[in-house]
Amino acid sequence: MDPLTLPDVTQLAVPIFIAAILGEFLWIAIKGRGGRYETRDAVTSLIMGAGSVASGILLGFIAWGFFMLLWRLTPLDLGTSIWVIGLCFILDDLRYYWVHRFGHRIRWVWASHVNHHSSQHYNLTTALRQTWTGTFTFMMIVRAPLVLLGFHPALVLFVGGLNLVYQFWIHTEAIKKMPRWFEAVMNTPSHHRAHHGRNPRYLDCNYAGVFIIWDKMFGTFVPEQDDDPVDYGLVFNIATFNPLRVAFHEWVAIYKDVTQPGLTLKQRLAYAFAPPGYSHDGSRDSSETIKAKHLARNPKDAGSPGL
Amino acid sequence: MPLELLLILVIGGIAAIAVLLHLTGRSNKRVLSAASARAAWQRQFPESRVSQLIVADNGHAALIRDAEASAPLGLVWSFGADTVARTLQDIDLARTNDGLRLSFADYSAPRVLLHLTPTETNSWQQMIADHSAINSPLAEA
Ligand SMILES: [Zn+2]
Ligand SMILES: [Zn+2]
Repeated sequence: MDPLTLPDVTQLAVPIFIAAILGEFLWIAIKGRGGRYETRDAVTSLIMGAGSVASGILLGFIAWGFFMLLWRLTPLDLGTSIWVIGLCFILDDLRYYWVHRFGHRIRWVWASHVNHHSSQHYNLTTALRQTWTGTFTFMMIVRAPLVLLGFHPALVLFVGGLNLVYQFWIHTEAIKKMPRWFEAVMNTPSHHRAHHGRNPRYLDCNYAGVFIIWDKMFGTFVPEQDDDPVDYGLVFNIATFNPLRVAFHEWVAIYKDVTQPGLTLKQRLAYAFAPPGYSHDGSRDSSETIKAKHLARNPKDAGSPGL
Repeated sequence: MPLELLLILVIGGIAAIAVLLHLTGRSNKRVLSAASARAAWQRQFPESRVSQLIVADNGHAALIRDAEASAPLGLVWSFGADTVARTLQDIDLARTNDGLRLSFADYSAPRVLLHLTPTETNSWQQMIADHSAINSPLAEA
């Protein structure tokens, strides 16, 4: 197999995405449970998804050029045997875990990732609410070790595409729990619902792409709690369905914060790169203060998962 | 996949899903009661102590006064099937044919159109104007 002719799986999956969304919608309509759909919310999510693919087509050459440069530098070439593809998939999922964790803990990367979390709904359209500005986060750097280890750039992008396609089906409330062994190893609707929660308990948990084991290894796993139903969306929810505002609102907010008068250089840098919620005067809440305030109001929750 | 086919699939798919959702009543706005408006406000501002809450006649918005007199007024409103909330600082207020238009200095919440009865329009406008006058830096000076 010539790695340069690997298919773009996210584009090929478009018909499946559309069919699955219709299927989920019908399931909810017939059963009267298992999720919610709202017209403008869904349309915005779908436009974000289409825009994300478009931005990949327009800006993909930047990451591609970077990877091909590394590929020329590295003396290693692992080829494309099935074992190498499998290993690449697993290592790339570890890469995804860290990019996603940075996406929630570094405001510069959050500015891109925030839009995936900007819906108050959780259905298959939410999966497609993807960023337009990923290239500007420079998170392609986290893929550099894979290429330098001898995985061809086309293979690295191919397994990254598979990873995203896997994550599509877990954006649903129609599936409550998968079999126990599956929940133990794989990222599932239940685990990822918790990740989309704005409840204090669920902030900064379950960064996994495909394998939930990374969260268990690195201490960020919080199981969905029956007595704390997930409240989807952002800590501070946006009030717009306009795709341009959804795509760029946090970048605009960073710009406003960084350029306000009377700050030190360190404070300006912190507004761009510290965890979301940083403020030079302590006037804003971060995940830590949100959790602490929640515990002050609900002392009985102390020591429970995520708190 | 050829780009033309991808475009047709994407545009056709989005349009079909939009029409289906709209025709099956998924465009209806959330209607708030006093209790659900309060819950929606506290969901966004859990530390706030509500002293007064006025739900608009159509149930699509509620005006909130905090127990802390110096706190700005708050507004919670229907956002599709959900709700959003903001404090009323840094706003422009204008009358429209059937209510008020609030513009925020917030890229993620540019403006909200409140459809109000004529009586409501007058009283809400008065309340917002009075309150922001009390809390403006000019009044403090
Ligand atoms: Zn995330
Ligand atoms: Zn997600």
